[in-house]
Amino acid sequence: MSGAAIKVLYFAQVAELVQVRQESWPLMQAVTGAAWLRQLESRYPQLAPARRLKLAVNQRHIAHDMLIAPGDEVAVFEPVTGG
Amino acid sequence: MVIVQEADFNEAELVAQLRERTAGKAGSIVTFTGYVRDYASNKTTQSLYLDHYPGMCEREIESICATAQTRWNTLGAVVMHRVGELRYKEKIVFIAVACAHRGDAFNACQYIIDALKTRAPFWKRETLASGERFWVQQHEADFVKATQWESD
Repeated sequence: MSGAAIKVLYFAQVAELVQVRQESWPLMQAVTGAAWLRQLESRYPQLAPARRLKLAVNQRHIAHDMLIAPGDEVAVFEPVTGG
Repeated sequence: MVIVQEADFNEAELVAQLRERTAGKAGSIVTFTGYVRDYASNKTTQSLYLDHYPGMCEREIESICATAQTRWNTLGAVVMHRVGELRYKEKIVFIAVACAHRGDAFNACQYIIDALKTRAPFWKRETLASGERFWVQQHEADFVKATQWESD
């Protein structure tokens, strides 16, 4: 992973809406989860039907005020429904 | 022990392994099994597809089991969760917990399934007998149950 990008993973309905499971996303400097989600929703307006988007960074759930930094693995998904 | 796999599993074998590891110390083993069922009384399910985040699923469930060990002195725990295409009536998830005393084992088992439902990154997509297909939304009640453990 280059230092100026993040690896983004999409799951479940989110993956169906954006029609991709994984992609590299340029990111020059750290941003909050909330700020990055605004970029995401602007690139993929079809995400509008997805309710309550959640984020995980490097395989840990994060609150939207936490930071995403270049080199991170970021996952985007709706609330989980296993069990 | 946490296992995430597509294949079906044998509950008796999983309990036997846990029993072998904890026999003589554990006075009780409590288990939970979750099955594919009808989505609602008037909506018959045909199949269930489970998407998941490999790696993070195992990490979250390990973390949940570690909390259970601290709170209820579990002597061992097994969590098996299936992914991929599951048919109607098949098993989805199995949890077995061994403790010295039954009260701790019941609590630990219930905590693990409640926490798994709100933290472990699995997602269910229902296909009904009618052909209708949709991603299941998290139930508010599941979220409430999981947060109650934090205040108890």
